[in-house]
Amino acid sequence: MDPHAKHTDLLVFHLTGKRRGGALQPIDGRDLRPALLAPLRDLDALRHDFPLVLVDRRRGADCVHTLSGLVDGVLRDVAPRGIDGERLRRHGLQLEREIRAAVAAGAEGSLTDLWDAAAARLGEREGETLEQVLRHAGGALRADGAVLGCTPATPARLVRHTWQTVQREKARQFHADVGMLVQQLSDILRAAFSHSQAGRRPQSLQAALGGPHQDLFDFDALSRVVGKSSPDDELPASRRERLVRTLGVLESQRFFAPPEQQATLWTGGTRSETFGFEFDNCAAAALAFRERLPEAAELVRALAVAELESRGGYIEAEHDLFFEAFDENSLGADDLARLPDYLVCIPPERSDAPENASLIEMLSSGLPVKVLVQTADLRDEAALGSGHFAFGVRSARLATTAMGLGGVFVLQSPAANLYAVRAQIDCGLASRGPALFSVYAGATRRGDPWPPYLSTAAALPSRAFPAFSYDALGGSNWAERFSLLNCPQPEADWPLETLEFVDAAQQRVRAPCAFTFADFALCDPRNSAHFALAPREQWDDAMLPAADWLALSEQDAARRVPYVWAVDASDALHRVVVDAGLMQSARRCLLLWHRLQEHAGIHDSHAERLLAREKAAWAAAAPPAAAPEPAPQPAAAEAAAEAPAHSRDEAWIETARCPSCDECQHINPRMFAYDERKQAYIKDITAGTYRQLVEAAESCQVAIIHPGKPRDPDEPGLEDLLARAESFR
Amino acid sequence: MSRRSLSQCVIKLHEEHHALEDYQGGVPRWCSGCGDNAILAAMQRLCSDEGLAPENTVFVSGIGCSSRLPHYMKTYGFHGLHGRAFPVAEGIKMARPDLHVFVSTGDGDCCSIGAAHWIHAIRYNMNITVVLHDNHVYGLTKKQASPTSPRGLKSNTTPYGAMLEPMNPLTVTLGVQGASFVAQGVDWVPEVLYDIMLAAFRHRGFSFVRILQRCPEFMPKAFDPWLRDPQRTQLLTHADGLQLSTGLSSAYRNQRVHDPRDLDRAREIASVDDPIPVGILYRNPDAPCYEDLRHAGQLRSPAVIRAGLNRELDKYTVWPEGAAA
Amino acid sequence: MLTRSNTPAQPAIELAEHIVEVISDSGEGAQRCGQSLAAIAARMGNGIWTTEIIPAEIQPPARSVAGASGIRIRIGSQQVSNGGDQTDLVVAFNEQVLIGRVQARELKPGATILLENMWRSHLDPAIVQTYTRTVEALRGDGFQVIELPLEDRCRELVDDPRKGKNMFVLGLLCRLYGLDAGLAHEQIARVFRKKDEAVIRSNLALFDAGSAFAEAELDLRWRIPAQRATEPQVVLNGNTAIALGVMASGMDICAMYPITPATSASHYLSEVFEKVGGLVHQAEDEIAACAFAVGASYAGKCAVTITSGPGLSLKQEVLGLAVMAEIPLVVVDVQRGGPSTGQPTKVEQGDLLAALYGGHGDAPKVVLAPCSIEDCFYSVITARKIAETFGMVVVVLSDASLATAQQPFPRPQFSEDWLAPPVDQTPVPPGAKPYDWDPVTGLSRRFQPGQPGGMHTVTGLAHDRASKVAYDPAINEEGLRARSLKLASLQKTLRPAPVFGDDDGAGGDMLLVGWGSTMGAIQESVTRLRGEGLSVSSLHLRFLNPLPPGIRETMARFRHVMTIEGCWSDRLEDEMIDADNRRYSALAMMLRSRFLVDVDCWSQSRGQPIKPADICAAVRRALQTTESHA
Repeated sequence: MDPHAKHTDLLVFHLTGKRRGGALQPIDGRDLRPALLAPLRDLDALRHDFPLVLVDRRRGADCVHTLSGLVDGVLRDVAPRGIDGERLRRHGLQLEREIRAAVAAGAEGSLTDLWDAAAARLGEREGETLEQVLRHAGGALRADGAVLGCTPATPARLVRHTWQTVQREKARQFHADVGMLVQQLSDILRAAFSHSQAGRRPQSLQAALGGPHQDLFDFDALSRVVGKSSPDDELPASRRERLVRTLGVLESQRFFAPPEQQATLWTGGTRSETFGFEFDNCAAAALAFRERLPEAAELVRALAVAELESRGGYIEAEHDLFFEAFDENSLGADDLARLPDYLVCIPPERSDAPENASLIEMLSSGLPVKVLVQTADLRDEAALGSGHFAFGVRSARLATTAMGLGGVFVLQSPAANLYAVRAQIDCGLASRGPALFSVYAGATRRGDPWPPYLSTAAALPSRAFPAFSYDALGGSNWAERFSLLNCPQPEADWPLETLEFVDAAQQRVRAPCAFTFADFALCDPRNSAHFALAPREQWDDAMLPAADWLALSEQDAARRVPYVWAVDASDALHRVVVDAGLMQSARRCLLLWHRLQEHAGIHDSHAERLLAREKAAWAAAAPPAAAPEPAPQPAAAEAAAEAPAHSRDEAWIETARCPSCDECQHINPRMFAYDERKQAYIKDITAGTYRQLVEAAESCQVAIIHPGKPRDPDEPGLEDLLARAESFR
Repeated sequence: MSRRSLSQCVIKLHEEHHALEDYQGGVPRWCSGCGDNAILAAMQRLCSDEGLAPENTVFVSGIGCSSRLPHYMKTYGFHGLHGRAFPVAEGIKMARPDLHVFVSTGDGDCCSIGAAHWIHAIRYNMNITVVLHDNHVYGLTKKQASPTSPRGLKSNTTPYGAMLEPMNPLTVTLGVQGASFVAQGVDWVPEVLYDIMLAAFRHRGFSFVRILQRCPEFMPKAFDPWLRDPQRTQLLTHADGLQLSTGLSSAYRNQRVHDPRDLDRAREIASVDDPIPVGILYRNPDAPCYEDLRHAGQLRSPAVIRAGLNRELDKYTVWPEGAAA
Repeated sequence: MLTRSNTPAQPAIELAEHIVEVISDSGEGAQRCGQSLAAIAARMGNGIWTTEIIPAEIQPPARSVAGASGIRIRIGSQQVSNGGDQTDLVVAFNEQVLIGRVQARELKPGATILLENMWRSHLDPAIVQTYTRTVEALRGDGFQVIELPLEDRCRELVDDPRKGKNMFVLGLLCRLYGLDAGLAHEQIARVFRKKDEAVIRSNLALFDAGSAFAEAELDLRWRIPAQRATEPQVVLNGNTAIALGVMASGMDICAMYPITPATSASHYLSEVFEKVGGLVHQAEDEIAACAFAVGASYAGKCAVTITSGPGLSLKQEVLGLAVMAEIPLVVVDVQRGGPSTGQPTKVEQGDLLAALYGGHGDAPKVVLAPCSIEDCFYSVITARKIAETFGMVVVVLSDASLATAQQPFPRPQFSEDWLAPPVDQTPVPPGAKPYDWDPVTGLSRRFQPGQPGGMHTVTGLAHDRASKVAYDPAINEEGLRARSLKLASLQKTLRPAPVFGDDDGAGGDMLLVGWGSTMGAIQESVTRLRGEGLSVSSLHLRFLNPLPPGIRETMARFRHVMTIEGCWSDRLEDEMIDADNRRYSALAMMLRSRFLVDVDCWSQSRGQPIKPADICAAVRRALQTTESHA
């Protein structure tokens, strides 16, 4: 036997993807899966994030819940402590599993419906009473709503639901504001009417009274009498016109549907058709936005005018020009943020190159648009062939590209991870300006043995589709804007798990095993051509686990063969070698991952370089001397002590104690003055006599004027004055 | 991208500053050396520093020297009846929570003829700033004893000296349930007076500031011992209360740290009259305001009134044959 | 006696009207019974007027004269404008409560009395004795006393018959007056709508039992023809009408202090006002209530304070301030007996002069008095309008009889024009002054806080046009003149009050002049007297200050003028009283002094609404004496 021959079989396959001889076997039909995923066969038996329940709630409260979470809530509420509580809890979990299975099998509907259905099924199996118990427990459900399994449709429904919740809150706020403004503006008009000529017409005066009292007055006479006082007190025509026009705009706006509950009290004749804001492609959304822009500008202007008018703050000299100049180009992000956001859910089949072009254009234009791009299947770009456009790249790059546009909120996540990142979804939808949600939603093709949950979940640890968010307005630097979202072992290239298996000697073995892009690719049968199963006798030292292989430089790697651990249906462990094409995209995937790591501050190259330099510097420098004790804070009193002392010869005033009694001012307003606090100080010592200084000191109620010593030795009566001044010096 | 919204811009366009002069009304007709001048000065400075729009500010008063203050402010003013400033101010605040309402009252106006209203005004805890000008004597009516006159004061109504112990407005106020802000100032420490009045204005609730104030005409020298000796004025300081400038704390060394949230300590301090405690004795920012509890000042559309009235009339309506009940 | 002995029911006697009373110890539900009876009759299309009989104390002892609590309902085939004269039929739950009614001459001689007879077999011999003795006495006085086992019959249906009696009696009365049982059932369902089904059912059972009892045992049948109204009517009392008027006038704030008999208006308003964004403030006292309202009025829309006589006295100083500062204000005074605490629950028209001249100095106020329940509603709206248009205090004088009386009137059709204009925040025209009195009308436009450029200090001191304190006598007079002129200007806009009776305008022997709640009784008397061939007419004044034009001319057409008022006036028959020292009733005094006409007056202050019969008697007497003098 020639060792090289074997060796080349592996290598050849690795380099060419061709299986030479019968040594290597194809993996199709063997139902192989990455060894690390061995425990995840029966997904329905596992409590995980899915199915989800979409709850109609005001914003603030969660509008998305997990089935497990709600079930736990119910059990907390209804299941007593102790044994029977235990039984109820067990039944509850049984029911949860039942529902999960049903949803996986394609069941749809509200939670309560599915709950009752499941309870009924269990009842058939386990008896009436159980059904009753569970139905009763169902009554304790804290929330109800559509139940959602993890399917390719999930991302759109989830994002749309959250979007609607956000828009509902916006509408509430908008109607509250507008209702208030409309009322205030109409009040201005009504108030003005009462003392306008129109309001003083006999008919108006008569209308103000009711029943028999309409005969009590001679309303012509009354009109004459009230007409006499303050004859012409009309609202200026320009203002009246502005108020009426503004009211018209506010009441006929088409961006929000009129609030249903207060429909009766709704003052305005709202135009019937309200705008829609949901689209399935960027072009349509952009077009709609552009068409509505003038109307949006009109509404925003009306809001601003109304706010000013309601506070009486509209000054024509200042504001007329401003508002004339105001048009759709003047709209700011905050203005648009008061109006509904546009939602674009691009279905997988539509997310093609041209669509992406207009998407990027739209995002960069900063429109208030929330876009969901769904990647059905990371393999599609394989069509574009090998080279630097290998698969897995484009869809992952879409998000990173969007980050570069600035001002765009970006969220990337596999579908399986959506519940975990609901807060970010919320944040993206609530944020001003555009947002991109790039989601890997799993396979759409039939006959795929893998539930979408598992395949998309695998995309996360394998770095094939890492989850991260970039909140453009979230802060001033990367650290605040960017965060990796529960990617396992973010500091590592690949997450390192422990693989447990029983070896040939029937020994339980625990071996470290990384979960790489290759493992992820193995989950997708359509990649099977890139893999080949190496029987145990083929194994040799040239074989390297994919992770280790990727750690090598290109040259060193060249002579080695990467493999991944896989198990078959009977959980037997196998080595599967991977061809170079797939490994190349694994490398590319790793590069992207490294970039994300740096954004997240992991292995930050700049930081590491600086750190190295500093370390060197410290090493060079001598051990530093202990820092001197900081000087103690001077207490207020001491501070005062430091305050300039006054000699007895100086004329001055303890200004801080002056009670502003005007006494000194009366004596000589040029000599004494008040500071900005209306406390006295000596403004101009030369403006008066020493006598005045002394008199002021005497008349000062708080005795804070110190005359000091006379400037003019020849001033008459000085001896007497000095004597009187003594007590004040 | 993050351009400021239109409304922000235009509001910016329309920010006006009010200078002291904007608040100075008629020339004060108080005697020279009257402590009211200091209070007026502080009040005008407060309005301009806080940028209160004169048209949205109302000074309410009763009768007495103190109650002339509104005439000297160039805002809206209500110079009403002896003792009735509080209910008037309450009515104003209830009808128009958007207005800044101040009450300027005196020891006779507030503590004697208006005492009942005073007690209940504290209970209501409406967002009003009250300044009690306490000079221990009736000035406008030419020297009669007031509830706060010191024992033995010889006045036209007590020629042989006032017989009764003076009332202590601070302890009274602190004794009423619902008191939410109580402070004391003295006209001869204007800087602190201003700080206290500012804190009072910023407190949301019924802010009661008693100000010891000199009446050179009828109580000359009454406060001289305190004026001459800074030690006899005790400044209450606290992180949540007054902080003193170095200049001031050098002039007034007698200081005491007091937490305005401590009601018991506040009552204890309030009952001391020498040295005179100056500062914020009590503040409870959480006490609810009556106008909030009553949802005052909400907008009412004719539609709402029509609906409400018809709802009521339905209860009493006898419908003719065939008409829908 | 009248209880029936299997003879067939005799046909119902047809009546133009009947007055029925239900009285009991308080807490036995007599009033609810009467209210329901009235409502049912009203729904049938009868005219009705109910008058409450209110005990003076909160918890009067059982079976006591003072404890009489109940209600009197006047049922007519036409519209009824007042409580009428004496009672035709009484249902009494014990004999004691009757005594007071008899002493007060409230029962028509020979009236029928349906009396609870349980006392005859009471365990306490003393009670049995007083009962039998009283019944004998009543019969001796010629009353038809029919004793009924009310409680026994009710006990068959409910555990606590004391609570159930009233509905039993309602059923009984409905049968006696042939009222529609279907309507009655609806009414009962409405009365107990807040209670649960069981309560309604047991009350319906009681009602039916009462009806059946009357059918089987009583030989009384009356019919009061009615035609059902074509327009919706509302049935409510004067205080409720005032409260609704406050709502309809668009005022925001009512400040009050509890006082009988005004309080029930505030009670009701407190319940409903906040639902439309208004509020009722219960102040610490009457003075504060008024000052609070003045403050609210000054800063915002016109406000209202609701009170009664003693409250009005306390408010006077504040009202003076409002007059001086020309702050609009509506004061509702639901009058009661005075002076001092007087008769809190009783009827009197004693506050007219206090309303006009109560304050010190010259403080012109507008005074108007509603003369019907309907008028209570519309008067508040008018008062608000005048107060704000003229910058004046408007006093609305209602009284205890209107406060508690119920009368149907057309359901008001709300108009937004009734509402007070919103607070005005438009800038004040440059140069305008807060008191820019128009030299002719005395009117000036008020500035409201928040109006840029309008800053000024209103003051109770005499002031000039800029509201600066006036030290100059000429300025003081200018202000007095302007405030007085406003009253004259208002007077110039009033229409003459119509004369009732004197349709051809020929005048006659006697003109009765009244104001406020007495209108119904006076006009009914006029109709009766004219029926007797006497040429009597009446003039009823809604406006007391200013008085409407045309009074002088009207009075000139009559040989005699006499006011009819519910307050005190000296009686000439008293030895000490003569033409020179006689104290006239308020309106007479005003008319005499203003028009120099020898206006006579007849007044009554018995604490009860004035009865048409008493008025008729007084007029006949007056005419006779004047004849004999002539």
